[in-house]
Amino acid sequence: MIADDDLPPEDPAAALRLIDEQRATAARQFEPDPRAYYWPWGLAWLIGFGLHFLYYSPGDTPLVEMPSWLPLTVLFVLLAAAGAVSAVAGARAYGQVTGESARRGAWYGWSWGLGFLTLFVLAGRLSDSLPPDLVGLLWSALAVGLTGILHMAGGAIWLDRPLFLLGVWITVVNLLGTIAGPGWHALIVAVAGGGGMLLAGLLGWLRRRGRR
Amino acid sequence: MTELDPVIHAQARLRVVASLSALPDSDQVTFPRLQEILGMTAGNLSVHLRRLEEAGYVAVTKTHRGRTPVTLIALTRRGRLAFEEYTEAIRALLASADAKETS
Repeated sequence: MIADDDLPPEDPAAALRLIDEQRATAARQFEPDPRAYYWPWGLAWLIGFGLHFLYYSPGDTPLVEMPSWLPLTVLFVLLAAAGAVSAVAGARAYGQVTGESARRGAWYGWSWGLGFLTLFVLAGRLSDSLPPDLVGLLWSALAVGLTGILHMAGGAIWLDRPLFLLGVWITVVNLLGTIAGPGWHALIVAVAGGGGMLLAGLLGWLRRRGRR
Repeated sequence: MTELDPVIHAQARLRVVASLSALPDSDQVTFPRLQEILGMTAGNLSVHLRRLEEAGYVAVTKTHRGRTPVTLIALTRRGRLAFEEYTEAIRALLASADAKETS
């Protein structure tokens, strides 16, 4: 007995169509949705650093009054949420695949973890001996800088041009913000950095839909 | 049509091979995930995988993750090559059909 799906494709055009569609479907399944990957981070930066700017404004008084614990708490909660969402998206795409790319992903994850551990220890050591506005700048400029560089490294590992360019963009934005000084840094990172991530998610999503 | 690889030249197995070709070279995918991507029944997929495995196009590895048994599937080098050759042959057939129409 020959099952229906054991039959050859009707003609070469049908065969080629089947190949293209199936490859595109599978490729989509094997990568996380760019929206789930970038948008939570973009929103976290936009809102978190936005609040930071409104409270730790460049002038001496906050632009908007709020409890002093609010900006940092919101930033960390949103960053944690973003981490959770992108971890779930990544696990759904990569969880059922093993091999070299799983090892790449795991080692890349370790680089993030150890990178941020280094940063926390270093900034924690320096924080006591700096004025508050510089403490804020130190933490955020180090964290954003590390994020930019790790995005560039990710682009190099997976030869992913948009990821690499996003890393370059974040790094440049961070440098400009750091030069502009405390307060301004938060504004620039919120708008240009967070906006850049939202844009990267949108472009990645459109590109993926285009492949369908 | 002449000389098309009969193992791949069947809709279901062509879909299996095309999906596996989207994985990076040294990666493997679990059986349930592949089944989900293809939308085939487990029995049906097993039958086609066995045929592909006999031809040496697909490697099926049975292993354990913790205590649960896991079946991992990947295209072999030979399978990847066969798929590329098949795709080339299909393209060539299309091109010669186009040439006939225009001449």
